[in-house]
Amino acid sequence: MSQVLLHRNRLMVWGGTLAVMALLPVVFSQGFAISLLCQIGIMAIFALSYNMLLGQTGLLSFGHAVYYGLGAFVTLHVLNANLGIPVTLLPLAGGAAGLLAGIVLGWVSTKRAGTTFAMISLGIGEMVAASSLMFPGFFGGEGGVSGNRVTGKGLFGITYGPQIEMYYLIAGWAFVCMIAMFALTQTPLGRMANAVRDNPERAEFVGYNPQWVRYLMLVLSGLFAGIAGGLTALNYEIVTAESLSAHTSGAVLLMAFVGGVGFFYGPVIGAVLITVLQIAVAGLTKAWLFYFGVFFLVMVLYAPGGLASLLVMHKRLWQARMMGWLLPSYLLAAVPGLILFGGTIVMVEMAYALLGGAELGGSEVKVFGFVVDASSGLAWAAAAIVAGLGMLLLKRALREVSYQWNNVHAALTRGMTA
Amino acid sequence: MSAPALRLSGVKKRFGRSEIIKGVDLTIPMGERHAIIGPNGAGKSTLFNLISARFPVTAGRIELKGEDVTGLRPFEINRKGLSRSFQITNIFPRLTVFENLRCAVLWSLGYKYSFWHRLEGLRDAREKAEQVLEDIGLMRRRDTPAGILSYAEQRALEIGITIAGGADVILLDEPTAGMSRSETDEAVALIRRVSENRTLVMVEHDMSVVFGLADRISVLVYGDIIATGAPGEIRSNATVQEAYLGTSFAHA
Repeated sequence: MSQVLLHRNRLMVWGGTLAVMALLPVVFSQGFAISLLCQIGIMAIFALSYNMLLGQTGLLSFGHAVYYGLGAFVTLHVLNANLGIPVTLLPLAGGAAGLLAGIVLGWVSTKRAGTTFAMISLGIGEMVAASSLMFPGFFGGEGGVSGNRVTGKGLFGITYGPQIEMYYLIAGWAFVCMIAMFALTQTPLGRMANAVRDNPERAEFVGYNPQWVRYLMLVLSGLFAGIAGGLTALNYEIVTAESLSAHTSGAVLLMAFVGGVGFFYGPVIGAVLITVLQIAVAGLTKAWLFYFGVFFLVMVLYAPGGLASLLVMHKRLWQARMMGWLLPSYLLAAVPGLILFGGTIVMVEMAYALLGGAELGGSEVKVFGFVVDASSGLAWAAAAIVAGLGMLLLKRALREVSYQWNNVHAALTRGMTA
Repeated sequence: MSAPALRLSGVKKRFGRSEIIKGVDLTIPMGERHAIIGPNGAGKSTLFNLISARFPVTAGRIELKGEDVTGLRPFEINRKGLSRSFQITNIFPRLTVFENLRCAVLWSLGYKYSFWHRLEGLRDAREKAEQVLEDIGLMRRRDTPAGILSYAEQRALEIGITIAGGADVILLDEPTAGMSRSETDEAVALIRRVSENRTLVMVEHDMSVVFGLADRISVLVYGDIIATGAPGEIRSNATVQEAYLGTSFAHA
């Protein structure tokens, strides 16, 4: 009975996902929106593949871009070799490259878990990134490798020339990969990966070799990262060493973590949010990387379960009709939160202006539509006072929030035992 | 005459310069309930760790059902039909009770590292896990994450995971440690049920548990087995009484 319900639920979720993916470019039909959606689709696959390691197997990798980048390079080389493989299937070349890289490199890195794995993944990442400059024949040196994804008239006139056709290719692959990765979590290997994450020693005493479980998960995650890389290659028609760099490895870690590694769909949320923010914030300010760092820190400190866990917590309250208990305290916290936010941003922007990033020349900088002189002590004092005041008030407001949370939590547990 | 469930010959373990196990010879026939007792620091848990391959032996030979298993890795020994529990609870804390047990049966049912079977479709795995769930009395806690169970419940799950894979040689390391009297009674009843038709080896401090359950008892003192025999013999053994002088053994 509950099995049937579960299945119907899942079908609805996947059907809904498919419908949303199909309709998004209809709603957001501007050119930049389509490009953004393409990027999101690719990052969703990449972040989900990363979470097969971090969330599901408990492996913290600092070098996942290796599989993504190699997938991208190989895809372009296969494209340029004119082998007659339909472009629709080319991401599989990337997947094969990622899989193969996983088979070779994973053999070394999955011998150990924990810190050792993290260090080895970092080392392998640096090694592959360094080799990209040593072998310009394959990696194209500083300029990278480029190609042309329009190879002929295409089936039914689909040439992947127009960006919207590329979007549907990415969306199709993203959907297939998501289903495959979700299905994997529901298999013996997927469950034993969780078991190895929780307690590798016990896994060993129920008959499983934890190294082998980690290795298989890494190889499969390399496959999906490679597919994401292949799609990137086709999407931009150029791949540079950037795609295998530590920066890309860091970005995918950020997405998975911010979205929530404890939930299957968490990394998808992270991929959407980070990709949108990247483009939106980077367009607004040069300090965007700094803001990303702060955002990541705040998430790690205050919401280590990621956005997905926040959503799940609030969904339970919503279902218990208890959101009303919390909303006033949230509003109470929002006001000083915004004050702190505003004051901090003004200071950060002034600091960037002083360090030579000024837009308007000299030490003047435009924040929230106002022009502020970063060399004026008064401006600094004002911003510091505003931020300080915001922080003080926020601290008090957060006390109220946590008090209400405790109330709600107590009421919920009472409801459960009653 | 079938091979014994376990045969240890000349098993030694040295950590640095101190020899913790000093040449243990022990034969446990199939189907026996065998208890290993001894004062604190005698090396009982170490002996378990050697048998289950958690630690490598320094010297000696271990046979499981007639087959030499010295030097194998824990998962290999588990696959040959030996399963153990731990003194300090050793479960999968973030998985539910049911998932803990299902993980414990997967290998024995031949699913290995499969990523082409759907777990929900595996009726045998579900039924077996649920059977154990009932045996250990945790049906009510089926979908609770194991990490938030009470201590006694976690101990029961620990035993459940140990027996779920259907191993015919079971090692229990202090299964009633830290339990109240009534919890202990329940645990003993559970152990009695689950050890039927299997070989059971256990380390236990609670003498009433030992004398109630064991067919034979071995006494380990400072890395040596000083006596092995039926409960009555052990109770009246002079060497054992000397080793236990002034402890609870005299009153047990």
